[in-house]
Amino acid sequence: MSTDDTTDPAAGGNLIAAEYVLGVLGAEERREVERRLAQEPALASEVAFWEERLGGIADAVAPVVPPPDTWSQIEAAIASDARPRTTASLWQSIAFWRGFGIGAATLAAASIAALAYIGLVPASRPALMATLAGSSGQPNFVAAVTATGNSLVVVPASLLTNDPRAMELWLILPGPNQRPHSLGLIQPGQPIRLTIPPELAGQLTPDAALAVSLEPPGGSPTGQPTGPVIASGKLTSL
Amino acid sequence: MDADATRRQLAAALVRVAGGDRAALRVVYQNTSAKLFGVCLRILKDRGEAEDVLQEVFVTVWRRAASFDPGRASPITWMVAIARNRAIDRLRASAVSRRMEPIESADAVSDPAPAAVERVELAQQHQRLSRCLEELEARHARAIREAFLDGTTYEELAARMSVPLGTMKSWIRRGLLKLRTCLEA
Repeated sequence: MSTDDTTDPAAGGNLIAAEYVLGVLGAEERREVERRLAQEPALASEVAFWEERLGGIADAVAPVVPPPDTWSQIEAAIASDARPRTTASLWQSIAFWRGFGIGAATLAAASIAALAYIGLVPASRPALMATLAGSSGQPNFVAAVTATGNSLVVVPASLLTNDPRAMELWLILPGPNQRPHSLGLIQPGQPIRLTIPPELAGQLTPDAALAVSLEPPGGSPTGQPTGPVIASGKLTSL
Repeated sequence: MDADATRRQLAAALVRVAGGDRAALRVVYQNTSAKLFGVCLRILKDRGEAEDVLQEVFVTVWRRAASFDPGRASPITWMVAIARNRAIDRLRASAVSRRMEPIESADAVSDPAPAAVERVELAQQHQRLSRCLEELEARHARAIREAFLDGTTYEELAARMSVPLGTMKSWIRRGLLKLRTCLEA
């Protein structure tokens, strides 16, 4: 075989799937391949070919037991998902969410600044806030617990949709087998203040999570989320 | 438990996860988390980051289990691909603040000992992969192994192995073309 090391045997065109799987591409090239994957079944099956064939290289990696609390964190993270969502779901489509993603981070930052300015974020004790993000990681709502600790302000951080369904906010307390508690309906277009039920007010801690689901007009008929979760996030203290 | 039984058990658990079974996800976690954490740690070289990514991986598995096709992919390969993609994305995102690994330490961590590889009971496909990799020029095979294990870009690999970028691209692409022919044979 030739030992000429400087000749490039391929412009990369028909090896892009292999290069993607191998992991040699930069962030932008990776996004480009992922955009194409959604539309090009041939490319997708090439990626599958390489994932299956090269996967054996990972045999060389020694297993490392993760820290013991990892599982409980995963459990908490999936607690707001009533069921795993399939790729067929419109709400889960990354392309769909990306369409709304422009400037979302900026909006989220502005929302936080506005909340601080109008004094809703208390200065005297650690403030609890949550950024509720969709499946693509893009923030859709920002929520902050008010100074008294018994109400919650929710500010939309990015444009949402004309979907006629109602949006319901849920509180998920830490711990195994916690059922979501409804905090009420929220609006995609305007900030809203919700009263936290007294029995829950004391339990808002940095380990609790908030989630927004789509529900029939008027809210969930069952008292538990029935529609897809479009945004979720953990409370964190500032 | 032998490798085949593990594979069948995992595939069955993933199908149950697709139906919304949290206990099944736990079974998947118990059987794969150490392997996937090792994969993430190898790429990210930072425990905190690897822990974050491991969580993301299992949330992704929970959400995407319905797209796992037991007829087409092996469960562990499917999950390793998710873990590698997540870890590589995280690595790229933090690349700005990350200094390149010095060559000595890269050598120390990145060359999988062949003995260790042989000790593992390799599935047929993996044996073929090893054989095909052995047919490559040693440095091409090494570049491909390191790229896969460490998630390094062409640029980083070129710097690490002290060759020009064009040479590194050429090595890897030559290697991949030859590998494809060998793997398809």
